[in-house]
Amino acid sequence: MIKEEKVILMTKLASYESGKGKKDINILNYFRGDYIGFQILKSVIAATVSFFAVFAVYVFYNFETLIQDIYKMDLLSYGKTIIILYLCVVGAYGVISYVIYANRYNKAKKNLRVYYANLRKLAGMYADKE
Amino acid sequence: MTTLLVAKQYIKKFISKYEVYLKPLLKLVLALTALMMINGKIGYMQRLDNISVVLIVSLMCSFMPMNFIIFVAALFTVLHMYALSLECAVITLVVFLVLFLLYFRFSPKDTIVVLLTPMSFVLGIPYVMPLVMGLVGTPASVVSVGCGVIVSYLINYIADGANTLSAMETEDMATRFRFVIDGFLNNKAMILTIAAFAVTIILVYLIRRLSIDYAWTIAIIAGALADIMILLIGDLIFDTNVSILGLIVGTVFAVLVAKIVEFFAFHVDYSRTESVQFEDDEYYYYVKAVPKITVATPSRTVKKINTLKKRPVSTQARK
Repeated sequence: MIKEEKVILMTKLASYESGKGKKDINILNYFRGDYIGFQILKSVIAATVSFFAVFAVYVFYNFETLIQDIYKMDLLSYGKTIIILYLCVVGAYGVISYVIYANRYNKAKKNLRVYYANLRKLAGMYADKE
Repeated sequence: MTTLLVAKQYIKKFISKYEVYLKPLLKLVLALTALMMINGKIGYMQRLDNISVVLIVSLMCSFMPMNFIIFVAALFTVLHMYALSLECAVITLVVFLVLFLLYFRFSPKDTIVVLLTPMSFVLGIPYVMPLVMGLVGTPASVVSVGCGVIVSYLINYIADGANTLSAMETEDMATRFRFVIDGFLNNKAMILTIAAFAVTIILVYLIRRLSIDYAWTIAIIAGALADIMILLIGDLIFDTNVSILGLIVGTVFAVLVAKIVEFFAFHVDYSRTESVQFEDDEYYYYVKAVPKITVATPSRTVKKINTLKKRPVSTQARK
């Protein structure tokens, strides 16, 4: 006999598994610290690439003045300014990614908890039958 | 109004029934329109400005994820820019790179807005975007729409300056490079538009979430007025040459579109039909789960009032 209640429950579980659940399970394969750390690392790399792309455009834009002044200017302090700017950009972006990914991890955890509760309920149905 | 609501139910029913076919079709149409617009605006590379190429790529987009369309559109834009001049291509590439790396990394749900905003600019109805995104999006849509505005102004600027750029052929690369960057960054109209759209989105979003009667309608009107005000005041201060007639007509049109969106989006969850497969010890299940439609469409029933009396008592009781 097909039990309607069971089918509904199984459908819910299956649709979660094939949809949003896939992502959630992927996320929860990591420990919280590992997941967020890994995502921040990716963010830092992305921020670094973008920073240097923009910096390259800036250098090319000011190419003539830079070439003219290269012996006059204080390269050390110039480099320092750029490094500070770079750290600010990467830091800000890192903080934003931390907030977003910490939030995502918590949400995934919450969703998966509901999923496991339903799974237990389904297991309970089998236990009742036997 | 009742007729409209019934029509809406029919449309919903239709969508949930044929969703499997409608979605790729929608993607195909979107990709086709976007690529045709790009070719129309900046079709410098002859090889890409070809309807068969566009068709093949659009067909490919129709069964790929939504974000693939954005990728393809970005690729087309950069290639066209490359055909025009290397400097333009580099600048466009850097802009796209920063967008993709910094913003799309969070893969927000409304990335498609970055494509739709330039398209709405081409169609002359850019004011639709902030109103609609305020209604259906979140405050994060500010970034998406802002990126869209930047992309669209960049493309516009290069398309307008194409002749000047080709005339500067003899100049060295750095000069041309500086010409493009200067024009792009000193574009006060762009900054003003981004600011106005951001304020509009946040205002519409905040008002529509208030628990007052007609919150959505008030939100649309307040947003439209705020948009006009900011653009006009900005015009006075920065002298950005906003065409007042275009602004007002565009905003009225945007309000109309927003009303239509409100009609279809308000209180309605277009949750998707899902087909799932699973098995247990006894059966294989192939389940199609269709979301319930809350307001039932009137199914025509013929009620025979006179015959009722003639029926035996037992059937009436069973009813």
